[in-house]
Amino acid sequence: MRLEVTINGDPYRPNIDPAATVLQVLRDDLGLTGTKWGCLTGDCGACTVIVDGRTIVACLQLAAQVDGANITTVEGLAGRGNTMSDLQDAFVRHGAAQCGFCTPGMIVAAEQLVRDGIEPDEQAIREGLSGNLCRCTGYNKIVDAVVEVASRR
Amino acid sequence: MNTAAAPRTTGTPRLHRPADLGEAVRFLADNPGAVPVAGGTDLLIDRRLGRITTDCMVDISHLDISGIERDGDHLRIGATTTIRTIETSTELAVSAPALLEAARVLGSIQIRNMATLGGNLCHATPSAEMPPPLLVFDAEATIVSSSGWRTIELAQLFTGPGETSLQPGELLTGVTAHVGDGIGSCYIRQTVRWAMDLAGVGVAASVRIEPETNGIVSSVRVALAAVNPVPTVVEGLDSIVVGKTLDADVLDEAAALARRSASPISDARGTAQYRRHVVGVLTARALRVCTARAANTWPPNRAVPPNGFDPELLVDSGVTR
Repeated sequence: MRLEVTINGDPYRPNIDPAATVLQVLRDDLGLTGTKWGCLTGDCGACTVIVDGRTIVACLQLAAQVDGANITTVEGLAGRGNTMSDLQDAFVRHGAAQCGFCTPGMIVAAEQLVRDGIEPDEQAIREGLSGNLCRCTGYNKIVDAVVEVASRR
Repeated sequence: MNTAAAPRTTGTPRLHRPADLGEAVRFLADNPGAVPVAGGTDLLIDRRLGRITTDCMVDISHLDISGIERDGDHLRIGATTTIRTIETSTELAVSAPALLEAARVLGSIQIRNMATLGGNLCHATPSAEMPPPLLVFDAEATIVSSSGWRTIELAQLFTGPGETSLQPGELLTGVTAHVGDGIGSCYIRQTVRWAMDLAGVGVAASVRIEPETNGIVSSVRVALAAVNPVPTVVEGLDSIVVGKTLDADVLDEAAALARRSASPISDARGTAQYRRHVVGVLTARALRVCTARAANTWPPNRAVPPNGFDPELLVDSGVTR
């Protein structure tokens, strides 16, 4: 079937398997590999993307169900010309990445928390990011980065 | 379930997208084995692991069976209402905080944005969060098929772990809870981790206080998750609680009855003995929170901790033996 979606502002019309997930379409059909292939059970959050203003785990979302949607992946957060977003910049300055595998999902989830106006409160942010696992367990710097951006933006 | 022996999906998967509810139920009638999919957060895992082998899915996510609507003392919630919508509902914050609190601890924000009430009910996991808070509001389930509509008590939907009384071709379209003034409710649970975990024990309660009586209870409900093969209403509470105030002795008796209503198993989330004990502790806590809410002495903006333990407002007493 033909899927019509807007991803990071650009229109896409891939021909997809009706049972394909958003994660499969993003990575295998469109080459957008910033969204990570993690647990495939919705536990780790490495495949977090924003669909029409809400974060979802792309591994459990049938692509056919997001026909017509507006999707933002980690590739869409940087400005044109590869300038980093304030959140990406804060992650770099706080050293909020160790192996880096959780980082795209972490940044996308945090981006939506900030867009939704989350208070720059450590506990609220930890709760908001509880669906994103960092197995290097470097949560403190991640939370610091998000607190900073939530209080500034 | 022996997933290793289950056949993997074969053939070309199909996803049917009916235009409306009528077309959806006709399709379900004509295609035995077709599985409805809304959020997909359970179904896609079951399918990948071979627990469900159908190649035919029916997308119901866009049908007009979502939303929260209060009509007098009837609170209707559509089957495809997302858990996140329940969690953030201003209506539920007032009329049924137990539902909101159960939604708040289910999975992550990402999962709650996708997962639906109907999916949580029909997947029928013994530890599912949403059945207990609906059961304490005497909820009914509305079911449609190509031969018409029927309504059952929600408790009758659950027949075993992962099993419901839905017949082939039937679709759950929503639930109706019975709410009202003067009812306090809450949902609390015990977990091993504080987030992204299934309940080891889940307890929902509702209490109605008779107005102008200094705390005389006129109705009470307690429902349990994760300690029986199906979500369970504690039977026989009325004779212990109704017509009395919830003092330490009454709470003790109620907690003991709740413990006797639980037949938990031992697994990674706790031993049977520990879980049965926790049922009593959480039941007493939940009843005290409900009473405070019914009497308007629980601060409206004060969240109930997920395990109900609020050392400033409530101290466990008499329920630990």
